[in-house]
Amino acid sequence: MSSHQEAAPSHDGPKVLAVSERSPRVRSIAVVRPGEPDVNYLAATAKGLAITLKHFARNFFLPMKSADERAKPGAPVDETWKNEIETVQYPEEKVTYPERFRGLHRLMLRDDGAVRCVACMCCPTACPAHCITIVPEESDSLRIEKRPAIFEIDELRCIACGLCVEACPCDAIRMDTGEHAKPVEDRARSIETKETMMARGIQSVATQGGEGPNWRETATPPSK
Amino acid sequence: MLDILIAIIDFPATKWLLLIMGLVMPLASILTWMERRQSAMMQDRLGPNRANIGPIKLKGILHFIADAVKMIFKEDFIPANVHKGLFALAPVLALAPVLIAFAIIPFGPTIYPHSLTSTIDTYALATAPGSYAFADSIRLQIFSIDFGLIFYFAVLTLANYGGTIAGWASYNKWALLGGLRSSSQMMSYEVAMGLALMGVFLWTGTLEPGAIALHGASATMSPSNPLNWMWLWQPVGLVLFFTAAIAETKRAPFDIPEGEPEIIGYFVEYSGIRWGMFFLAEFIEIVFVSAVIATIFFGGWQLPFLDADGFRIGGYIDQVTHMSVGGTVLHLPHLVVVLLQAGAFAGKVVLLSMFQLFIRWTLPHMRADQLMNLGWKWLLPLTLANIMVTALIRLLFL
Ligand code: SF4
Ligand code: SF4
Repeated sequence: MSSHQEAAPSHDGPKVLAVSERSPRVRSIAVVRPGEPDVNYLAATAKGLAITLKHFARNFFLPMKSADERAKPGAPVDETWKNEIETVQYPEEKVTYPERFRGLHRLMLRDDGAVRCVACMCCPTACPAHCITIVPEESDSLRIEKRPAIFEIDELRCIACGLCVEACPCDAIRMDTGEHAKPVEDRARSIETKETMMARGIQSVATQGGEGPNWRETATPPSK
Repeated sequence: MLDILIAIIDFPATKWLLLIMGLVMPLASILTWMERRQSAMMQDRLGPNRANIGPIKLKGILHFIADAVKMIFKEDFIPANVHKGLFALAPVLALAPVLIAFAIIPFGPTIYPHSLTSTIDTYALATAPGSYAFADSIRLQIFSIDFGLIFYFAVLTLANYGGTIAGWASYNKWALLGGLRSSSQMMSYEVAMGLALMGVFLWTGTLEPGAIALHGASATMSPSNPLNWMWLWQPVGLVLFFTAAIAETKRAPFDIPEGEPEIIGYFVEYSGIRWGMFFLAEFIEIVFVSAVIATIFFGGWQLPFLDADGFRIGGYIDQVTHMSVGGTVLHLPHLVVVLLQAGAFAGKVVLLSMFQLFIRWTLPHMRADQLMNLGWKWLLPLTLANIMVTALIRLLFL
């Protein structure tokens, strides 16, 4: 048992005025509001002003924390005469994203640099935003039946759910680039094409269509 | 030539332009940036710091220019079914009274153009005010009227019509609620606000802001002595007036007509520069309240220990013989004194405006009934008590 479940409630709860006979959980309770004599506007105002003034003075006069310290949310206050401002100045400074952050898509590559996707149409089927367009074509390789001639994702419609990545049977599409969708000036530019997504692509560590040694035994995973 | 120049400067409209364009408008616009920046600093954020013209960044001060450009070029959208005339009139009604009310504020000392480069002889000034050295004097106050504070209450109350009419003309239930709240809020603070200054009136015997600023509580201290200013003799009046005045600016904790989290307020249907006028009126009201408080409670344009002839430490000018008594005096030319004193007024206004921003970003927003409670059950009795006690002290000791 964790301790917080056993901890007694810190107060006795609201005062119950009446309880319903049919369902005892329906009760009317007395609402406790601080009465007039308890309200001391002036003292409370002074106290609040002291707090905000302290923050203001500290943030106004002391130098900023380093970008690294600001990027860590909830980092303890630096004792060495720095202010408490947490703002990360975005385009110049960035917080490191969690590893599982779903960024822009990329199309993974085969050993020879060809696209890994076999145009199985699993991802456009799974996509809840209907933003993946694939036009398949016949592949040059005898082992592989199809490949995408066109593979487009409209990043404006994409809700970054990651279902396409889950749906893909052969590790051909991933969202682990750590990049945001870029701001664009017209909507057509927000469409990612096969080429742009392959440009971000890397070689997959999965085996090539069942061929070759198992990567689990041989290969060290390539870095991003 | 000089006569014409002096006559032009002495013209009320020139002085008004000088005050509005030289101090009020720049300060109010910069306050819009300062408010965001200061509140950010109070909340451990950075605030707007990006606006720039090329490489000129100035920590983001230029945001107010960006705001103005944005508001001017934004579409001036007038919704269907609004009352077109009143809709257009309301922002003007909100803005104009505040600008008019500045007429009573003394924003600098009297300038004697013929003795700008010499030190003022206070004895000669008191005994022979008609001599050439003191001729053609320019009073840095647009209208010096005996009923100055009454004028202020009367005119600024008109600003409430701006909000109420905007709410009525907008054909929007939220706006109407905001407009009603705006007029009902006035009920809560207006009485207490007027009465809070009655203590000052009893003490100084005048309602003319310039005279209140110069009033000395004691003859053995010159008016520029901070101990002679009304904050020390009317502390209760100061707190009560400040509270009521914040309610007048319609900002948190008394932002009931606007009520951002609930009804957006009477200007919900406004956009572009019309909304900008409401916005500016709010900030000009902050500057105005600061100017009034600086004038009445903090000696107006006086710099501590700076008399007309220079810094005077320890001594005073005898009110009867007009001789300088004791102390050391650092004589300064009249021009320097004037600039220092006008600067002191601007400085006081800036500091008091910043203090209002502190209050606005510290206190939570009140409900209408809480403000009613505060206004009628706390402020009003306290102002009445303040008047009684002040009157008793005047009667018994002075
Ligand atoms: S992340 Fe979701 S919405 Fe975006 S392309 Fe993949 S499946 Fe579609
Ligand atoms: S990316 Fe994967 S799921 Fe989508 S079509 Fe290609 S192989 Fe199929």
